Amino acid sequence: MERRNFLQALAASAAAAVVPGAALAARNQPSLRYLRPPGALDEPDFLARCINCGQCGEACPNRCIKYFSLENGWDSIDTPYITPREKACILCMKCGDICPTGAIQPVARNAKSIVDGVKMGHAEVDESLCLSYQGKSCGVCYRACPLPDAAIKVGYMEQPEVLDKCVGCGLCERSCIQMPHAIRVIPSHA
Amino acid sequence: MTLPSHKPFFLWRHLNKLRWLTLSVVFAMLVLLPYLHVYQTYVAAHAYDLLAPSEQQVYDVMEALTEPFVGDPAEDLDAIKGNTWSGTFWGVQLSDPLAALGQSAAGMTLYWPFWLTALIPIALSAVFGRFFCGWVCPATFIYELNSNFASWLRWAGLKVGNRHFDKRLKYVVLALGLILSAVTGSVLVAAIYPPAIVGREIYYVIGIGGFGAGTMFFVGTLLFDLLIARRGFCRYLCPGGALYSLLGRYRLVRIRRIVETCNDCAKCNAVCEFGLDPLRDGFGQECNNCTACMAVCPTDALTFILRPADVPAQGPGHLGRRYRGEHTEIDGTAAEQEEAA
Repeated sequence: MERRNFLQALAASAAAAVVPGAALAARNQPSLRYLRPPGALDEPDFLARCINCGQCGEACPNRCIKYFSLENGWDSIDTPYITPREKACILCMKCGDICPTGAIQPVARNAKSIVDGVKMGHAEVDESLCLSYQGKSCGVCYRACPLPDAAIKVGYMEQPEVLDKCVGCGLCERSCIQMPHAIRVIPSHA
Repeated sequence: MTLPSHKPFFLWRHLNKLRWLTLSVVFAMLVLLPYLHVYQTYVAAHAYDLLAPSEQQVYDVMEALTEPFVGDPAEDLDAIKGNTWSGTFWGVQLSDPLAALGQSAAGMTLYWPFWLTALIPIALSAVFGRFFCGWVCPATFIYELNSNFASWLRWAGLKVGNRHFDKRLKYVVLALGLILSAVTGSVLVAAIYPPAIVGREIYYVIGIGGFGAGTMFFVGTLLFDLLIARRGFCRYLCPGGALYSLLGRYRLVRIRRIVETCNDCAKCNAVCEFGLDPLRDGFGQECNNCTACMAVCPTDALTFILRPADVPAQGPGHLGRRYRGEHTEIDGTAAEQEEAA
């Protein structure tokens, strides 16, 4: 891994000397918030493992896995991602089973394995937008959560509180009836 | 060693038709699989009445196609997934050797479980050489149609590309692709490898609804083939072709010219998509055993041999020598000169 970091630094300095840097600066745009599929390795390992075969998307019964073109930089080209507000992950774990390279690790489909093995991100509530915090009892995110009371709990007026076991599937963000959404998943790779 | 000079097995000259059938089946599969996937998602959602009319059409067609074979489409249709870059067939995972090599370069580690999926293709390439390029590659299917299109254009009097470059260029592309993958830490060879691009982009168009960046690259290679060099990308630039050529360097199954029946008509050289020289026994590691030369040979002078090396150049065809002797009776010089030489 050190060798690769060295090579990357070498390439970055070479590229900075030659290219104006537009292609490299495309990384990590704050507006481009995406999740990797459930069970994905950490971002650098994931990029090194993923061969862009597209089988995860083809296995996804929810069709929530999409693929980058060049919007996230050259090294993310054709890698899978999920935009939870458009379509969130239902934690069926089929993508990890079919991934030939282990870029997405296989995770058994039960609550314990999922809580242990999946770290797509962590949901955050914006209390200034959340209906329940504004005095209109809502609770939709709690009802959408596949791990209720483990990942999210509701209190007075169904005000949501995200707990440690949230895996970041994004179903709460998908189902939030507020616009803009009051709950959003912060990706673990960011 | 002495070589047998009998006639080739009569079916060999029909192998080219089988090859086109194989290419078509692979390509049709790449089109069908995304539709099957879309159909599966409709089934899983139990949402037939919520579908748009065009989506219901897809549902109906796919249901009619698959009903005889599956009980539960949502589960049973998972049997085949992926494409020629990496695919799953009833639990057996097969991957392109370039995928394994590119991944090892990107991660600077050997991940054995993934190399195992490339083992069968590597073993087959060691026996049959670059057969993937001629018999499986979904990009070849399009490139050969593109070549035919170019010959129509030529027939119509338009100029098409016929330039030649150094065939060793593709080994440089392979090396650069691997270095680039190592530097960026991402498998970037996949972005410049047409079969991977074609498999992906067909899925993007049907399953997701839009082309990716690879389509631009692939259209570029088609234009390169059409306007600059016939079949130029495969001959001079393809990194996967380079890897398969290296794997097939000592392949066992080769094509051999039967010098006793060859009449030096050179149709084999004209038809060879990879610009090889069957007429002078120049097959080399880049022959993909596509058998187009066998199919076109008017005297059945090409056959298979099992040998880890090509037959050395055998000189002009014997039938050709007699043929030229018969047809240059008036002066007879050409045949005599050849006999003397």
